[in-house]
Amino acid sequence: MRFRAKIVDGACLNHFTRISNMIAKLAKTCTLRISPDKLNFILCDKLANGGVSMWCELEQENFFNEFQMEGVSAENNEIYLELTSENLSRALKTAQNARALKIKLTNKHFPCLTVSVEMLSMSSSSRIVTHDIPIKVIPRKLWKDLQEPVVPDPDVSIYLPVLKTMKSVVEKMKNISNHLVIEANLDGELNLKIETELVCVTTHFKDLGNPPLASESTHQDRNMEHMAEVHIDIRKLLQFLAGQQVNPTKALCNIVNNKMVHFDLLHEDVSLQYFIPALS
Amino acid sequence: VAAMLKCVMSGSQVKVFGKAVQALSRISDELWLDPSKKGLALRCVNSSRSAYGCVLFSPVFFQHYQWSALVKMSENELDTTLNLKCKLGMKSILPIFRCLNSLERNIEKCKIFTRSDKCKVVIQFFYRHGIKRTHNICFQESQPLQVIFDKNVCTNTLMIQPRLLADAIVLFTSSQEEVTLAVTPLNFCLKSSNEESMDLSNAVYSEMFVGSDEFDFFQIGMDTEITFCFKELKGILTFSEATHAPISIYFDFPGKPLALSIDDMLVEANFILATLADESSRASSPQSLCLSQKRKRSDLIKKKAGKNITGQALECISRKAAPRRLYPKETLTNISALENCGSPAMKRANGDVSEVSENSVSNTEEVPGSLCLRKFSCMFFGAVSSDQQEHFNHPFDSLARASDSEEDMNNGSFSIF
Repeated sequence: MRFRAKIVDGACLNHFTRISNMIAKLAKTCTLRISPDKLNFILCDKLANGGVSMWCELEQENFFNEFQMEGVSAENNEIYLELTSENLSRALKTAQNARALKIKLTNKHFPCLTVSVEMLSMSSSSRIVTHDIPIKVIPRKLWKDLQEPVVPDPDVSIYLPVLKTMKSVVEKMKNISNHLVIEANLDGELNLKIETELVCVTTHFKDLGNPPLASESTHQDRNMEHMAEVHIDIRKLLQFLAGQQVNPTKALCNIVNNKMVHFDLLHEDVSLQYFIPALS
Repeated sequence: VAAMLKCVMSGSQVKVFGKAVQALSRISDELWLDPSKKGLALRCVNSSRSAYGCVLFSPVFFQHYQWSALVKMSENELDTTLNLKCKLGMKSILPIFRCLNSLERNIEKCKIFTRSDKCKVVIQFFYRHGIKRTHNICFQESQPLQVIFDKNVCTNTLMIQPRLLADAIVLFTSSQEEVTLAVTPLNFCLKSSNEESMDLSNAVYSEMFVGSDEFDFFQIGMDTEITFCFKELKGILTFSEATHAPISIYFDFPGKPLALSIDDMLVEANFILATLADESSRASSPQSLCLSQKRKRSDLIKKKAGKNITGQALECISRKAAPRRLYPKETLTNISALENCGSPAMKRANGDVSEVSENSVSNTEEVPGSLCLRKFSCMFFGAVSSDQQEHFNHPFDSLARASDSEEDMNNGSFSIF
């Protein structure tokens, strides 16, 4: 197994650092999948994660000007690594004024992802910063649990409001209840509701817009104002929103009635999918 | 006439003073106020005696500086000068020097006053419009400690801009206990301590290589790798931001303390940190404490012992021969062996070694389960004497009650902070 990659463009490095920060906020531990064309940050829906799953994908050629990998075998030309997300984001954060950043798979005393940065400095000699991030190689037999989640046909698909606004609303609601209802319809309306014995609070978002429906046949039958809803744990929604430091290029919310909510975001050229299951 | 201190500072001077208190608070929970003719020294030492800090404000730093020592006349004409023995809790003084930027802007002057016969230090801030804020802090009577460290004989000396230290510090997480400094005549590397990374399989190992041309001064006598506590480094950085002066680093071999100094004419700060001894000296000792050894001291001991003992074995013996009570002051009894107890220590070594060795381990019991701290070397400590000249000639008078004291007199020169 081999992996070496290099970033020399400042903008690419900043973008990669931002993505890594976002992942660190969304998942304490995650899987990094390396394949010839892509990098994926994966969180699978284990009980430990509360059923939440995440799939983040980026095209390697949008970031790295050098990228070489050799997977486990010729038929399985992929590498799956488990790492503590914060370790990577912190290492990248120190690379702010880098001339070049190299990432490679190494085996010093244990397998590591080595991030090495050549810094710009005042003097003629460069400063070299190296971080060895310990990782666990995930064996092939566990790869089946780490595949791209199948997105079921949603009952409603709607564009999200400004995430920062959504986050401040949800943050306040969290103090009242752990149980949140997210509902939306095909008329561009989305509501966030919480309810306790004493109080009921609803925030209404209007004119959000819906993407064109996949199949035209169901379109006529459906009542545009009918809400699809799902009851979720408010903390999981808040964790997702807290990870979005920058407003995404595109943000879509898919609701499967009483089953789950699926967020589909695009941060420039990086796609992020986040699944929150309904409370049982 | 009592021992006293009275000084007055402006707003910007208070900011520097406050930064010094903040830096020292990273080392210890207690602070000594120690005025002398050299100026006002703020001193502290950590509980495991592995880090010491001293910030000396020269008399010209202040708008007004006045101090006096108590002179006790006695019948046999041996006057003793007693300095101010003032120790404050960091919890009491640190909150007073908070929001330094706002203090700098808003106060017209700050007065600090204390006397040995009062039991408190009075700190007053004078604002505009006649507003005055007064703090009274009770102090504990306690003899300040100082460290003897000769910067001039250090093999390795570096001078760096604070910016470089700040850049290095961000590499490591706050959970990092120790860092290692590795130098060769051509380059400098700061890295996570190897010991630690091995134990925790989840810890990131980080290192930063810096070329020698980034330093204001770079003199390396020999390739060295030393390991010390990371926490104290952050405190030093805090203070360096206040003075904008470069930081000088003096060090030798592993086990010998490292000194970080900032000197900007008006203020001189010295932070002495113990370093981890290397494998060989650790292996030779049954106990985990090892000592920082000055070559001159070992020569002295060799003479006294009258035998041809090698340096290594000598270190062993000195370690075991920890005298029970070094100092009459209660705060210093748990400091273990210093070779300055020359011949008496050697005499005891020939006797019941096991009994004495238990004693020297007493310091380690303070920090149970903290293996890395126990391996740190201890430093030379001397009691502060108000008469620096007298102290200089007979630095160890106040320490051991040696029977043949004249022969113990050190003829070398040590810098005393």
